[in-house]
Amino acid sequence: MKQVIKGNFAVSHGVRLSRVKVISAYPITPQTTIVEQLSEMCATGELEARFIKVESEHSAMAAVVGSETAGVRSFTATSSQGLLLMHEVLHWTAGARLPIVLTNVNRAVGPGWNIWADQSDSVSQRDTGWIQIYCESNQEVLDSVIMGYKLAEEVSLPVMVTYDAFFLSHTSEVVDVPEFEEVDGYLPPFEPKFRLDVNDPRMFGGMIGPDYFYEERYVMHRDSMEVLDVYPRICREFDQVFGRQYDVCEAYRTDDADLILVTAGTITSVSRIAVDEARKTGKKVGLMKLRLFRPVPFERWREVLGDASRVTVIDRNMSAGLGGVFASEVKSALFPLEKSPVVYSAIAGLGGRDVTPGDVSGIIDHVLTTDDPVDKPIFWGLKE
Amino acid sequence: MNRDERREKAGLYNFKTWHDFPPMNVSMGNMLHNRTGSWRFIKPVYEDKIPACQQSCPAGNDIEAWIKLIQKGEYEKAYWYVKREEPFPAILGRVCFRFCEEKCNRGPLDEEISIRELERFLGDRVPLSTPYPDLTSFNGKSLCVVGSGPAGMSMAYFARILGYQVTIFEALPVLGGMLRVGIPAYRLPRSIVEQEFAGLRSMGIDLKPDTTVEKDISLEECLQRFDYIFLAPGVHGSKKLGVPGEDTPNVMSGLDLLKRIALGEKVHLGKRVIVVGGGNTAIDAARSAVRLGSDVTILYRRTEAEMPAHPEEIAEAREEKVGFRFLAAPERIEVKERGAIANLVCCEMELGKPDESGRRRPVKKEGGLFDLKADTVITAIGENAVFDSMAKILEKSGGVLDVDEELQVGSLETGEGRVFAGGDIVDAPHTVVHAVAAGKRAAVAIDCHRKGIAFSEVFQEIMVGAGPGISFSAYMGWKPVNPVRRNLKSVVGPEHIVYDYFEKAPRVQKTGLPASERKKNFDVYEDTFSAERALEEADRCIHCGRCTECDNCLILCPDVSVLVKDRGEFGYVFDYNYCKGCGICFTECPRHAITMVDEENPI
Repeated sequence: MKQVIKGNFAVSHGVRLSRVKVISAYPITPQTTIVEQLSEMCATGELEARFIKVESEHSAMAAVVGSETAGVRSFTATSSQGLLLMHEVLHWTAGARLPIVLTNVNRAVGPGWNIWADQSDSVSQRDTGWIQIYCESNQEVLDSVIMGYKLAEEVSLPVMVTYDAFFLSHTSEVVDVPEFEEVDGYLPPFEPKFRLDVNDPRMFGGMIGPDYFYEERYVMHRDSMEVLDVYPRICREFDQVFGRQYDVCEAYRTDDADLILVTAGTITSVSRIAVDEARKTGKKVGLMKLRLFRPVPFERWREVLGDASRVTVIDRNMSAGLGGVFASEVKSALFPLEKSPVVYSAIAGLGGRDVTPGDVSGIIDHVLTTDDPVDKPIFWGLKE
Repeated sequence: MNRDERREKAGLYNFKTWHDFPPMNVSMGNMLHNRTGSWRFIKPVYEDKIPACQQSCPAGNDIEAWIKLIQKGEYEKAYWYVKREEPFPAILGRVCFRFCEEKCNRGPLDEEISIRELERFLGDRVPLSTPYPDLTSFNGKSLCVVGSGPAGMSMAYFARILGYQVTIFEALPVLGGMLRVGIPAYRLPRSIVEQEFAGLRSMGIDLKPDTTVEKDISLEECLQRFDYIFLAPGVHGSKKLGVPGEDTPNVMSGLDLLKRIALGEKVHLGKRVIVVGGGNTAIDAARSAVRLGSDVTILYRRTEAEMPAHPEEIAEAREEKVGFRFLAAPERIEVKERGAIANLVCCEMELGKPDESGRRRPVKKEGGLFDLKADTVITAIGENAVFDSMAKILEKSGGVLDVDEELQVGSLETGEGRVFAGGDIVDAPHTVVHAVAAGKRAAVAIDCHRKGIAFSEVFQEIMVGAGPGISFSAYMGWKPVNPVRRNLKSVVGPEHIVYDYFEKAPRVQKTGLPASERKKNFDVYEDTFSAERALEEADRCIHCGRCTECDNCLILCPDVSVLVKDRGEFGYVFDYNYCKGCGICFTECPRHAITMVDEENPI
């Protein structure tokens, strides 16, 4: 049923519809209302889940590692500093192959203290082994939670669903909230591949020496790469039930494009407008929406971007000493091509600064006319 | 078993090469062979202990256990459980000064449990005439009790349970001692005292009122007729003021007033009554005088802080409009012809240096004389033993009876170690529960004498905590409510309770008449708890030191080494194969029902 709801509430619905059994989360702006709504749902019985109160995000993640290991579908949510606090446990979750879904509201990392949209938090966790998905709309957020569990439980890897602070978390959009029956038909009950049983106690995550650690880690990478086949299938099945299409990425007007933008999150919506404007003036511009970030869809990115002469990645994140993180990974995906497009890196919107269609148009024009060396990041909108 | 054999046996993950590795490294077999219990150097044991309330009760009343029975709705069982250690719940449930509540560990959280009201609930719930179940047959030995006050009653009760043939001699024509002629009826109705004696009679105890020892029957005759004697005559004499004009009809002692009212006399007091004294007798006399229609003022030579009376009594007296005049004492009583009091001349007092009691000695103020109008003066400045019948015995020991460690009166020439004593005649604190406790101790002391063992040694074993209460149940070998080993010496104080596990809840209030209504007669003005109120209050009990199967240890044990016993038996058992002795169960037990002992300890 269509409702007008904020992104955070879309998450709560996704969690409810996924029949999650254990939730543990610590409040942090702008994630707090997810957890507030979930605890209300638990209180009214709409959601039959155990809510474990904890004193920090590290404990929240540890708590759901515990519950998931005991064989119960579990959920947590956080943002920014909270995600960073969980860092050690994020590594553990992925290495322990626990299919937990975590929704991270993309918020800047301090200091200076900033609560607004910025993807630096989740991109800084890209090496933890988690599957990462970047969402553009509240509908996509709800859908990604449900798909997240289906994907995670099939490949035994945790899924991080991310979306922009305030632009989605606290902004209302029209969202089609499915019914339990529809979701139950798509997402079966969790059947753990292994679980903690006090009557048959095992050792989990014990010591592995130099003789086999490498191979165990390789298995993790191998299974992560399989996601590149599993995920599209999961998306097709979702389309069949719910009539909405998703994929590892989305190509918008890229077929004949000379310049293709690469964006993730709400900058994508804004960029669609800028692309259309550019097309009206005869510029052959296209857009690749980056959805799946880990595992890196190397081949698919090469397919979408390979024929363009220029690619411009707009990063709402920054790794000091490197520049934009998405740009860096796109470059590495394109590197094997005999004739790779020239890749520009633009950084915009850090700390929640608004990125308008005008800004994206400006970036497009700049890229089309500049003489600057390509590997110098374009810090768009930096004040004089 | 070699590696391949182990793999076969494990079955779960049978891989030939790493390509078949499961996604997560999980041990192939289970870990039950790893007996982590071998890491221990200290271990937990379930051990029930003594809650603060039981320790502070002079009689060692096992309060926690019968509160648990109230919570289960087993009121009759709870009633008989009280009577294991304290024979008269309907009486103590009304008049006890609640030493237990003063130390109740619930106090630091919100308010202490209304233990006295719960005991009263049980006392009023079960008919006092219900026969004592499974009474022992007589053991062939007899004893007589001199005095039917609470010490004598208690001694008779416990002695009968031990199998003795008991006779109680009482000088007055009514039975009960201070319970009957001292404590006013609005605190303890006559009918309850009479019913308790009916209960004692039904146990086969012989009651002989109107019989004064050393007047109607001599001590020698008692020694011939009975194997043992227990002296508990109490202290029924009142100290004199020692001022001129004291020996007139309108000056009487508080005890005298209370006895006359109790025996049914229509006492007429003047309009203005002054009560001299600061103890419970003064308060009882004052509140009785109010009910007889007088204006009453209590005159006390020190301040309220030094008054020996119980604060609860002082507060209720104030509510009934009893006036208080502190730091003043009578100087002389000016009497008109035919005995009417013209004037009570008083002197203002000041507090000087402390005396033997530790309180500051009152000293007359220079030029502090003043007049007080009074029609009647009631003296309540302290009790002493009445010398007329037992003079021979008491004169030798200066008005009190000294007893030795075996509770025998050593100073007697006759007696041959068969004369015991207890109650107010021996001890200083003049409360009913102390007398009841003394009677219980004496019964055990006599039984030890009969068995030829030293009571002083037995006393150490059955003492509750640091004493002076004793566990009669321990002496008899009766099983406690919880089938868990019990440590009689280990007392649980507020420092042992984990208050985080308890939610605050207000103390259930008593209901009753307001002060203005109370003064109209000598009827009881407080209601007994209903079953709903009793349950609500009982539910607040923390059950200090006693397992309640709350599951905290079971949930929190990191080694899953707290196991529920089979077949619905009470409590838990530790799996010492795996228990590492981390002490989490001990630390998190909300009520300190677990003890950590050395690994070598054979418990």
